[in-house]
Amino acid sequence: MQVVIFNGSPRRKKSNTKLLINSFLSGYKKVIDTKVPVYYIASLNKKEELLYAYKNAKTVIIFFPLYTDMMPGIVKEFFEDISKIKNSERKKIAFVVQSGFPEAYQSIFVEKYLEKLAKRLKLDYIGTIIKGGVEGIKLMPSWMTKELFTNFSSLGEYFAKNNEFDEEINSKLRKPYKMSKIKRNLFSIISKTGLTNFYWNGNLKRNKAYEKRHNHPYAQKWSH
Amino acid sequence: MKITILNGDLETKNSDFSDYIENLVKQFQVNNNIVDVFHLKKMELSYCHGCWNCWWKNPGLCSTKDDAEIIFKSYINSDFVLFASPLYVGFTSSSLKKISDRLIVLLHPYIEIRNKESHHTKRYKNYPDFGLLIKEENDTDKEDIQILNDIYDRFAINFHCKKRYLKSVNFNTVKEIVNASCNI
Repeated sequence: MQVVIFNGSPRRKKSNTKLLINSFLSGYKKVIDTKVPVYYIASLNKKEELLYAYKNAKTVIIFFPLYTDMMPGIVKEFFEDISKIKNSERKKIAFVVQSGFPEAYQSIFVEKYLEKLAKRLKLDYIGTIIKGGVEGIKLMPSWMTKELFTNFSSLGEYFAKNNEFDEEINSKLRKPYKMSKIKRNLFSIISKTGLTNFYWNGNLKRNKAYEKRHNHPYAQKWSH
Repeated sequence: MKITILNGDLETKNSDFSDYIENLVKQFQVNNNIVDVFHLKKMELSYCHGCWNCWWKNPGLCSTKDDAEIIFKSYINSDFVLFASPLYVGFTSSSLKKISDRLIVLLHPYIEIRNKESHHTKRYKNYPDFGLLIKEENDTDKEDIQILNDIYDRFAINFHCKKRYLKSVNFNTVKEIVNASCNI
């Protein structure tokens, strides 16, 4: 079982996706003591190397962040590229989609696409992990991210043993699936106090850009 | 009406699809519309790097300096946008997806509850409705069309607008596209 991981984040080594891959691999290595190669799809100057690694892998796991309801443009390009590769033997493929939005629901549409993609490329589809609320995990204190990383580590451990995803962890990670009515109401109330914008405003102020936060530079003058 | 057409055709010469778009532009102009058409693959366009400078450093401005700025301006000042692309492995092209990702420059980072979900708030007063024009692949089936409809309906929620239609150059004439786009 030769596993190869592709990181589809445009942020590459600075990505939240990378942190999830690291946790996944820490669990994986508890079972199989071998170095799993990780390739960055956004390293466009290494395209041939990437496609070669894909071609020779038996199992491929592609991690990416949700960009406007889908995989990022560079990941779509990667899909277009691998569709031209003739597979000598059947390959397995799995996906991990992470989003900044808290609800897993926002990623279930790309999941349908990914399942169909596997079918179209004649790959054995292992499944898709969906995890919302991942934005900002790099900045969070460790007690806040402990459960997330533990889950991804367990996911990796299970994957090393069974070459598939642990469905129990998958459904755990998909929570919240949608925002509950209570949470929505609470959000609406808190947003009136400005607290929900705290993270953004803090960063805007730090960058001395708070006063410019409502700028709309691409509008024609007469339209506003 | 002002119309922006984003042509995601990956073929840069001798393409039936781009010929179709050319005819479509002419027909729009005959009907007194102002049309900006961009053949994305022929332009210098990077992908969105996820740097968020447009959200918290230079609000509303993209830091990647390439041909995208003229597209942002055209898009946000249009009455209607046409996302046009042949399908490649079941979805619109990577060129079209790359520029779509970068349209987040037109939104605020702030989140509100809309459609019972969290979404980004408006940066601009108005956002144009859009249509989706595709060219089917040999193996395109109902499931693919459903996936496309779903994803672009999601895009409409995020970008404060409506998806007017999904049509295909395989089945729809240029005139039909013009009528569907201009009948508001």
